[in-house]
Amino acid sequence: MELVYSRERERREVAELSDRDLAIGARGGEMVCFETLVSRKTPVVVSLARRIVGNTEDARDVAQMVFLRVWNEIHRYDERYSVNTWLYRIATNLSIDFLRSSRSRERAHGATLHLVREREELTAADATRTAEDRELNRLFELVSMKLSGKQKAVFVLKEMEDRDTREIAEILGCGESTVRNHLFNARRVLRKEMARLYPEFLRGRPLA
Amino acid sequence: MSPICTLVRGSFDDYLADALPAPQRRMLRDHLAACPECGELAVSRDPTFLFARVAPEQVPAAEAAGILSAVRTGVSLMEAERRLGRKSRRRVAGLGAAAAAAVVTLVVALQSFPAHRPPSVAARPAPVPAASENPSELSAAALADPGTTSASPDATVYDWNPGAGREEPRVVWIVDRGLDI
Repeated sequence: MELVYSRERERREVAELSDRDLAIGARGGEMVCFETLVSRKTPVVVSLARRIVGNTEDARDVAQMVFLRVWNEIHRYDERYSVNTWLYRIATNLSIDFLRSSRSRERAHGATLHLVREREELTAADATRTAEDRELNRLFELVSMKLSGKQKAVFVLKEMEDRDTREIAEILGCGESTVRNHLFNARRVLRKEMARLYPEFLRGRPLA
Repeated sequence: MSPICTLVRGSFDDYLADALPAPQRRMLRDHLAACPECGELAVSRDPTFLFARVAPEQVPAAEAAGILSAVRTGVSLMEAERRLGRKSRRRVAGLGAAAAAAVVTLVVALQSFPAHRPPSVAARPAPVPAASENPSELSAAALADPGTTSASPDATVYDWNPGAGREEPRVVWIVDRGLDI
């Protein structure tokens, strides 16, 4: 009983630590710090992965891979840098890899996989979202199919996650001008796809 | 239309060119989410403005717990794998060391038994050219190895040991012309 109580107290104390302190604790082998970091960052990582890979089911898998990678690489964590940037970097890279492989899988299996996934989407976690968000997410998923992995990641990080250009450059390991280039091209492709797929939407805005 | 609306509407181009400082950018996004007229105008200016207002994904508590549990299992597996890897590496290193020790012991044992070793070049008498009908053959052999010796008037012993002192094979062959084979 006493042991359970002291563990609970330890958990509560750890929950008050900053991200940086949690990462330092996890680097020292403290499992409770690592688990607290996972719990705290799960929504952020799932949200980012969901926007890049396009569905919640895959986003959950990517999130698990992200945290396992974090555990594996925690000894390399440098406390001079932000935990968020480090985490975003791992999440973005794994999401892009996942997107590439799922696109090649889809090319091999046709549209069936996409339809199955869409149905899963509707029945599972989407229940928590508002109707408009759901529509916008689906719209983005459809019009962003022609974007490359990097373009999609840059657009998601900049427009949807509202990250700074310098931070995105750090996350993707490229220059700020490259980020601006990707963003410019992503906007161009999205405009074109929206005009092609939903011309009536652009005129009348039926979603709002 | 408020003064903020005017300000926001005049900043669309800068926003799209990524030329707005972070606070102004955030202010513009917040305003677009709150003001439907400006939101409409922004989307008609560039439809990608539409995605700036998608709310972040909400992860239900049960789902977050599922992810944490899967990560926990994954970490345990990784740690077990790491421990196993460390053990097998230690085992391989131990076997390697034992094999090396056995080889060294064998070499030392072989060197400490002179009876088993052919006489070294230095210990042998000075080479005497064998009586040969073909002097060119002898000279070629002698050139190949100065340690050529003769055992009997009719036999020639060629002892070729290019790597004396190293672990090179030593080749010894005898040509006995006295034998009638």
